[in-house]
Amino acid sequence: MSAPSRKSPLAAVQSAMARAVMRPLGPREEMQRENAEAAQAILKPNDRLTSFDRLQIYNQQYWWRLLGTLAEDFRGLRAVLGERKFDRLAVAYLTACGSTSWSLRDLGQHLEEFIREHPELTAPHHPLALEMARVEWARVIAFDGPENPRLDPQRIVGRPASRIRLGLQPHITLLELHYPIDEICRRLKRTEADPASNAVSGGVRPRRLRVTAKPTAKPICLAVHRLDFSVYYKRLEPEAWRLLLALRGGETLERACGIAFANSLEAEQVTTSKVQGWFALWMRFGWLCERC
Amino acid sequence: MSQSRYANYVDYGVGIGLRIPHYRHILEKKPVVDWFEIISENYLVDGGRPLQVLDQILEQYRVVQHGVSMYLGNASRPNRGHLRKLKALTRRTKTPWLSDHLCWGSVDGRYTHDLLPMPYTWEAVETTARNIREVQDYLELPVAVENVSSYAEFHMSEMSEWEFLNEVVERADCGILLDVNNIYVSSQNHGFNPMEYVNAVPSDRVAQIHVAGHTKFEKYVLDTHDHPVLDPVWKLYARAIERCGRTATLLEWDDKIPSFDEVHREALKAAKFLPKADVRAVA
Repeated sequence: MSAPSRKSPLAAVQSAMARAVMRPLGPREEMQRENAEAAQAILKPNDRLTSFDRLQIYNQQYWWRLLGTLAEDFRGLRAVLGERKFDRLAVAYLTACGSTSWSLRDLGQHLEEFIREHPELTAPHHPLALEMARVEWARVIAFDGPENPRLDPQRIVGRPASRIRLGLQPHITLLELHYPIDEICRRLKRTEADPASNAVSGGVRPRRLRVTAKPTAKPICLAVHRLDFSVYYKRLEPEAWRLLLALRGGETLERACGIAFANSLEAEQVTTSKVQGWFALWMRFGWLCERC
Repeated sequence: MSQSRYANYVDYGVGIGLRIPHYRHILEKKPVVDWFEIISENYLVDGGRPLQVLDQILEQYRVVQHGVSMYLGNASRPNRGHLRKLKALTRRTKTPWLSDHLCWGSVDGRYTHDLLPMPYTWEAVETTARNIREVQDYLELPVAVENVSSYAEFHMSEMSEWEFLNEVVERADCGILLDVNNIYVSSQNHGFNPMEYVNAVPSDRVAQIHVAGHTKFEKYVLDTHDHPVLDPVWKLYARAIERCGRTATLLEWDDKIPSFDEVHREALKAAKFLPKADVRAVA
């Protein structure tokens, strides 16, 4: 940010007001006294409201709108942490990262990274909270992420596996989890039972729910994806998950299969049959596309 | 026939805002609606259900785009990434004009997601008009700017809100989306005569009119869009129509959204104020 003295009067007043509007609210969700000087310098009072009162309207609207959006997009995380701890995390996140996109859809794009860097904000639920945030951001991507033209199988017929490279739809996120987040999300969805929960009504907060979970004995390989315009969670066998990951990473089909079954003791006939079954399913789901 | 060049002299009648809770009703029942206004940002996505629904709506209805985050009054220039997406969407919707607010909302890449009021200065006039011209040139579409409701006034202001609006639209050569509810809300918060505002607006630049509900608190009025339009707002609407003639009109209802039929019924109250097609407006 350049020094205020070098800005035009318009840029200077917008900077000063934006700084005040984005300053976290104080106790009882009122504006902090630190904003008093800016309020007086920028805004006129009227016969009913002081400059402070007027700036407070915008300060509160900013925080209520952004906190409401995060609470809506990360309902599971909120249920893991509880309302107060979630709000502390959200305020810390928004103070540090703010919104860097014109779309509120992107508001949570850095939340996973922020939680990773600040484990103290989610303790003692840190591992569960982190995984929940990852899945919930994956859900945002699956909901409205791009979809490339699906793979035409005719285009790879007859080509050796060593020369086939396939793409994976961009709306799919592959995750390795240590908690049954997919089950928790389904349970939460059932519990909320709010048919208007996707209404545009800003600031409406979901019902207070709490969830806990124990780590699973084995990691869960999960794909968060979109099918017929709805978001789904699909558990995968570890080999299938590794194969998809390798394909997404740009490996040839032959090499991806090699990576997927690197430690497998299964006979080649068995693995071939498995791969055929997976590809049939993935083609039906429209998961595969040409590499861009 | 409409008297608005922004609508290519096509009569748009009375529309309503397309909102998620009404998707199913609209797609299944296919109610007769003159047009829908969409919030552009809800459809500036790369895929999925929002675009699928939009395409279905476009098969049956006329759609006009209304934006909430171009921030034409920002001291900085418009965001090109945003404009690129917006242009792609305008080609999809074939919107005849595009509206956004006469406000600012982001600084140094940080977004408030609010429609913050402008200081009414000559510098702001020039800056905002420059931004609108840039947007119109880029999108190759007429832009209409909407007056926002506000709760604050700046020490540095050098003119009234309507003088500011008039100066901006003249310099930018753009249209106005006249929100008569916002005029009423701001008039209550700042103590001016709302009719003076409506009378001062250049009628030939009014591309569209918004009506909506608001909420009175003890010390100020808030633009809540969460219930029916109140009488003082209908009075302003009647006067605006008297001056502008038949103008595309839209009801906004964004919170505590009732059934589609209730929203539509409320919107259609505007129709009784609209003159017949051959009646000329009085300035």
